[in-house]
Amino acid sequence: MSQTATSTGTPGAAPQEPRAARFSYFWLLLALGAIVTVSAVRLITGQDQLDSSGSLRAAILATCPILMAAIGGMWSERAGVVNIGLEGQMILGTWGAAYFTYYYGPWVGILGAALMGAVGGALHALATVTFGVDHIVSGVAVNIIGLGAAAFLAEAYFTGLPGGGPRQLSGLDRPLSITVPGLADGAESLSDKGWFFVSDVASLVSALSTNLSILTVLVFALVGVSGWVLWRTSFGLRLRSCGENPQASESLGVNVILYKWIAVVVSGALAGVGGGFLALVASSGFVTGQTGGRGYIGLAAMIFGNWRPGGILAGSLMFGYTDSLPLRSADTIHALLLLVAIGLFALAIWRFTRKQTRQAIVFGVIGLLFLVWFLTTDQVPREFTGMTPYIATLLVLAFSAQRLRMPKADGQVYRKGSAG
Amino acid sequence: MRRLTKIAAASAVLSLALTACANDSDTAAEDDLCGGGGDGPNVGLAYDVGGRGDQSFNDAAARGMEQAKEELGATCTEAQAQDGEPESAREDRLRTLAEDGHDPIIGTGFAYSLAVDAVAPDFPDTSFGVVDGFDPTGDEANDNVAYLGFAENEGSFLVGVAAALKTQTDHVGFVGGVHNDLIKKFEAGYTAGVEAVNPDITVDVTYIEEEDLSGFADPAGGKAAAAAMYENGADIVYHASGGSGSGVFDAAVEAGDDMWAIGVDSDQYLTASDDQKEHILTSMLKRVDTATFNEIKSVADDKPLSSYQSYDLAADGVGYSTSGGYIDDIKDQIDEWAEKIKSGEVEVPSTVK
Repeated sequence: MSQTATSTGTPGAAPQEPRAARFSYFWLLLALGAIVTVSAVRLITGQDQLDSSGSLRAAILATCPILMAAIGGMWSERAGVVNIGLEGQMILGTWGAAYFTYYYGPWVGILGAALMGAVGGALHALATVTFGVDHIVSGVAVNIIGLGAAAFLAEAYFTGLPGGGPRQLSGLDRPLSITVPGLADGAESLSDKGWFFVSDVASLVSALSTNLSILTVLVFALVGVSGWVLWRTSFGLRLRSCGENPQASESLGVNVILYKWIAVVVSGALAGVGGGFLALVASSGFVTGQTGGRGYIGLAAMIFGNWRPGGILAGSLMFGYTDSLPLRSADTIHALLLLVAIGLFALAIWRFTRKQTRQAIVFGVIGLLFLVWFLTTDQVPREFTGMTPYIATLLVLAFSAQRLRMPKADGQVYRKGSAG
Repeated sequence: MRRLTKIAAASAVLSLALTACANDSDTAAEDDLCGGGGDGPNVGLAYDVGGRGDQSFNDAAARGMEQAKEELGATCTEAQAQDGEPESAREDRLRTLAEDGHDPIIGTGFAYSLAVDAVAPDFPDTSFGVVDGFDPTGDEANDNVAYLGFAENEGSFLVGVAAALKTQTDHVGFVGGVHNDLIKKFEAGYTAGVEAVNPDITVDVTYIEEEDLSGFADPAGGKAAAAAMYENGADIVYHASGGSGSGVFDAAVEAGDDMWAIGVDSDQYLTASDDQKEHILTSMLKRVDTATFNEIKSVADDKPLSSYQSYDLAADGVGYSTSGGYIDDIKDQIDEWAEKIKSGEVEVPSTVK
């Protein structure tokens, strides 16, 4: 989201740089402000589920698959290949995780998920990078192949296994999860008190210290590693140059085809890990069709995040949160209205201080509408609760679309030697 | 360039090989169920999304077919549905089966109701059966269509009674896959069953999806919904969410000892993994196999069923399972309630209040 090369998700941002320091200070303030706001909304509405440790835990679980797909998409698109095959690669990942976990345990299962996803990525790379097929056409094909292949492989390998059938395999071993002794209980009891601010921070601590899967940690680590590799290494610079101006890169001696291949295969592997997370942590079993469009949501999170890890993290958390909240308590959605209204007012004020009066007025009016909606109703109609994540997407994309900038050569077919 | 040609050739061969494999397995599955019948009815069996192997009602329909093959010498053709397919795909499937001379044609799942309504008038001499079906127009019923309905509310009532008798916290839950009329019927019966035993028990209700049928294949959603209930004090959660149910069982396992889940449609204790088995209190049974068999038999007897057929408790169309032995101590009480329902003394609501 930030305009500089520094973003929150990127470790190694040198603190001695004044610019970087200013930004981490800014993000810290923003995070504090967010917690205070949520806490206030929780107290005003009395909806404890808004940020109870259980809700936050569920939100993190719902975030991880989306986050992995989005980071995978970032790898691919930074190298100039649009990867809408993320959904298919994710589906392959769910199967890979189930198969390898069943026979070799959860750790090999994760590798298996990455491997199967990488196979899907390789297929996409073969079509788009080597053969120059239109990226969208190939991506759609990868999605269809992923769905069909996973269904076929499941029928071929899971039929007759204990807990398995032609369409599912349940009761898989889970990767290790950790509960920090002392801290978890303490934070949990503190969060139950319902105090302003303190309990909300305690909820967050409790969510992160209770039953936290190692795979969740790995997912967030992969976000940081991806940011570091792409923005802090010469390998990453070359890779990104393939997405901005491949002709120039090639004329400077970069093997564009190779870099694009690597990026798309890594992209598939990450999406596969996202699928593996669904099959091993978010629930412990494989069912055909369990990705349910999360790959596409990941794509939206990537665009929302402006093709950057920090923004992608924020976008994925938003999707994960709004996705999981209705499952916890449908009433809480009503409290979200107030939260959205406050958020819009904040945006309006921010725009106003930047002298963008017209936008400020638009945000203010929409915020007012949400506030009126909140004040005049007692609950949001059930039909709306399922739409929450998508309405949020539309709103956010509409508001931030002007600031988005995708890699310049994204989606263009590159042929070797076209540098001329 | 030569290398490219080689790669292209290799991938073409690979895709052909994969297609061939897929075809093989399709025919293998059909041979299992459909081959070897006698001169009985030639059944067209159109599965819903989930298909054979869902360990739920599609499999139950297949069991009914198998019984018909053994007892009536029936033969059949199976047709699978695709996830997210358009309405026209279901119509085409039924039409193809009808044109090939199958009779009866059975669609498993309420999703076939519209398609059957569109196709049936064109084939007046063919009998159609729709499991969980309903007449979408409501005015002109087709004489050649039987809607094989179940009193899920009665079966759910019984597992509701079981939950109410077993709960330690006076707090139970219900996870539905999709918020439609069919699943609301489960909720209504379950809630009524719990209330009949103890009106003070709290029942939490969550639906995974409002409209989208993906709610029946979302274990992660099922787990999130059930986990919230266990955290809020519920100790028994009943699910009517198809494939998402494994997530509900996972949540029960993670919630720890004395946390229970109740299965649906078939005896899910039998198909669950070992650590899940210790948390599956009972399952609400829906005898789709009985309904499928009866439909085939009616055609074999030349007295094809038509309009609404209700498989209720009295007709042995619904029930509950006792695998695992966790409810052996309260079985008598549950059966008492079952008798009251059969005799009409207790009327189970089919819509949510």
